[in-house]
Amino acid sequence: MKLEGEYLFNGPREEVWNIVRDPDVLATCIPGTQTLKQVNENEYEGAIGVRIGPVNAAFTGKLTVSDEIPPESCTLTAEGKGAAGFARGVGHVVLEEQGSDKTLLKYTGELIIGGKLMSVGQRLIDSVGKSMINKGFETLDKTLATRLAAKS
Amino acid sequence: METKYFGKRIQRNEDPRILTGQALFVDDVELPDMLHATFLRSDYPHARINSIDISAALARPGVIAVYTAKDMGDYWKPGPLLVPAPTAIPGVVFNKRTQVPMAREEIRHQGEPIAVVIAKSRYIAEDALADIVADLEPLDPVVDVEKALEPGSPLVYNDLGTNLASHVQQENGNYAAAAAQADVVIKAHIVIDRGIAGAMENRGLVVQWDPKSQHLTVWATTQAPIALRNGLSGILGLSESQVRVIAPFVGGGFGPKIMVFQPEEVVLTWASMKLGLPIKYIEDRQENFLAMTQERNQIHDAEIALTKDGKILGVKDVFVQDTGAFNSYALTVPLNTQTHTTGPYKVPNYYSEFRVAFTDRILVTPVRGAGRPYGVFVMERLMDLAAKKLGLDPTEIRRRNYLQPEEFPYRTGIIGQDFAKNILDSGNYPATLDKALEMIEYEQFIKEEQPKLRAQGKHVGIGVVTFTEGTGVGPYEGGRVTVEASGKVSVATGVGTQGQGHYTSFAQVVAEQLGVPVEDVRVVTGDTDQFHWGAGTFASRGATVAGNAIHAAASLVRAKILKLASKTLQVPEEDLVLENSEIHSATHPTTCIPLGELAVKANPSRGAVEPGAEPGLEATAYYGPPYGATAGGTVAMIVEVDTELMRVEIKRYVIAHDCGTVINPLIVDGQIHGGVSLGVGNSFFEKLVYDENGQLMNGTFMDYLIPRATDMPYIEIGHLSTPSPLNPLGIKGVGEAGAIPTPAAFAQAVENALADYNLEVREIPLSPNRLFELLEESKTS
Repeated sequence: MKLEGEYLFNGPREEVWNIVRDPDVLATCIPGTQTLKQVNENEYEGAIGVRIGPVNAAFTGKLTVSDEIPPESCTLTAEGKGAAGFARGVGHVVLEEQGSDKTLLKYTGELIIGGKLMSVGQRLIDSVGKSMINKGFETLDKTLATRLAAKS
Repeated sequence: METKYFGKRIQRNEDPRILTGQALFVDDVELPDMLHATFLRSDYPHARINSIDISAALARPGVIAVYTAKDMGDYWKPGPLLVPAPTAIPGVVFNKRTQVPMAREEIRHQGEPIAVVIAKSRYIAEDALADIVADLEPLDPVVDVEKALEPGSPLVYNDLGTNLASHVQQENGNYAAAAAQADVVIKAHIVIDRGIAGAMENRGLVVQWDPKSQHLTVWATTQAPIALRNGLSGILGLSESQVRVIAPFVGGGFGPKIMVFQPEEVVLTWASMKLGLPIKYIEDRQENFLAMTQERNQIHDAEIALTKDGKILGVKDVFVQDTGAFNSYALTVPLNTQTHTTGPYKVPNYYSEFRVAFTDRILVTPVRGAGRPYGVFVMERLMDLAAKKLGLDPTEIRRRNYLQPEEFPYRTGIIGQDFAKNILDSGNYPATLDKALEMIEYEQFIKEEQPKLRAQGKHVGIGVVTFTEGTGVGPYEGGRVTVEASGKVSVATGVGTQGQGHYTSFAQVVAEQLGVPVEDVRVVTGDTDQFHWGAGTFASRGATVAGNAIHAAASLVRAKILKLASKTLQVPEEDLVLENSEIHSATHPTTCIPLGELAVKANPSRGAVEPGAEPGLEATAYYGPPYGATAGGTVAMIVEVDTELMRVEIKRYVIAHDCGTVINPLIVDGQIHGGVSLGVGNSFFEKLVYDENGQLMNGTFMDYLIPRATDMPYIEIGHLSTPSPLNPLGIKGVGEAGAIPTPAAFAQAVENALADYNLEVREIPLSPNRLFELLEESKTS
């Protein structure tokens, strides 16, 4: 499955980059995340619960950040599995400055999903996935606003 | 012949029990201390097993045992080939790779079991599945059957060095020479995709090893109880007399339940012997999509050579067949396609070649129709294209090419699933066409009704196709008929029953011979302690093969009755009448003896008997046909296509069917109805969709559509009878009849309905989506 999209953040690029690379912030913004801890500079481990239609899936997995060009771009590789199946995804994230106080995040990627999650939930994966991504960005944006407010 | 029971439309003996929930199905079996099993199945279509950690699952309260392939030691081995390779075909390539009990080093299809949990309840077992940590390393899957055969493709079996499972070439006559002389040669590329059997009851198994009596009892939803008993006893190192397999009432078979020594059967019988406790396993619907064998995925490149007046000179068909990860059932499916392609037509030159490829998908074994529908689909599509090209009516081009009734037995020269050159025993195809056209009022439809409806903007079309069905193949079946002291009769045979009405049709055969009411004949099928010789229920052979064996046994019992009654009543045998459960003199009806009383006389408890006397009124007999009986028929279908929503409504469905002598028209109707519903599913609803990574995307009945009652047409059936000369009763099979011609008729009717668009149907199954795409393509082409 191909992933593609963008989100406009209300903040300068450096700040957006900082929160995207902060595991504590990420843990709060990825819906369903139960734990997310950094195991080394570019690797995180965690657990997440996702509900897709009739499938309630608990995953444990790994998130790796590579090809980092702060604060412009990076590649995220995620791998998770659980009783309801597995997911493997690679995404490339680019941050573009839109003036001094706005940043456009663009992402493209590829997601492989398997097991019950696919055979039972296939019809809903797309919409659940999109809604998770958007919710995540909205939460990030709110966190960003709080940080910026605290600074000013 | 005047009959009282045979051939009559009699309601089924078994239905009151089934309909009121009083029939025993496997899941109804409850035993003291019974454990419950569930399997961990792979999410990956292709992966290496690095390790499987079962410790957490074992620690869960209520879990009794967890096993992986490694725990099975030397007991773990690939299963036997269930059908021999067709070595009778010259030059055949067959690379054997059979199903394994659980994956050990490498996983080769999604759903392949990798561990089993046995627990005090199914709930606990299911929870424990999540405790197992399997370290699996995904490998590139082989998903596309055509790409599988290209150089450089990932391999399902590295040791084999190729994904080629089989290669078969057969030719009758010389197609190339015929094509060189032809006025027209027409080619078509045709794709047949995968579907499931979708029985109402999934697979189920209860196994009980009794350590004290050293006896194993297996209740299974199998179509082949005797093969299962014989094979399991061999695998487990037991005597056949230590194993009893019971196939009780089974909620539909449709092919895949012929598969024996399935992973679950091999693993759980072994586990029950290890634990000394009974175990139940009931497959759930999600598992069924990933673990029960499926059918199809064939890609054909076919061509037909004709004279300008529409006479067939030759047919050529080259196809690939996806067999999935194993080929335990050898080549039955593609061989059935190969033998049924030319069907009811006289094709003097026929070349057929297929390659079978291993892929990382569930193995392919027969599903109702078993390869036949796709041969028919290919041929009928070619006939439709030829009719169009030559400007002939589709029914006319068929009429010009039928085998004629006097040409039987007809030798096609092509070796089929029984490894002998195919012979069509009998038939009358022009009569089935006439009957179908008369029933659907063909002339009136195409000349008056269709133009009228088209003028109103309606897209209505008609399809008419003729087909054959090779049925009733060997090797043999048997039956034992016993008159009991009550005057009631018991019958036992080895075939299993999955809803075909055997309890009634076999009873009718016996009732006719012995003069007893049908409801007084108790039939037992599929219990190896009751009868332990036979092959199983497949290839539309139950009524033909077991039916004739039971008839032979009943005839022997009748002879015994007449002999003893003649002696007892002092009436010559030829003057005796068997009716209403008694034997009486034709001329002096009061000189009579009840059948039960005669049975008691035949089994004296004291005194002496004549040398050589056999006790009781009982006989056992067997029947094996020299080759299969060929049924056939013509289907005519009228459809209306809604070009906005792309729904197709079958307005009328007519089938003029010939399955030889009919035992019970009601049961034949039911068999046709069931077959048609599968055929409608294969035409427009049922398609397994895999993504490019080999993941099944529609593994539930929410997304995999089977026809509902509202999708089904009213089915109008015309019965014709050309008795088979091969068996005393003249019977031919009917189990797959409805499924075989339906997709071909559907395609023709849809094309005819959309004649304005010049749309061509080259694939099944279709769907509203797919039909929309085809319609859009036809607009731009």
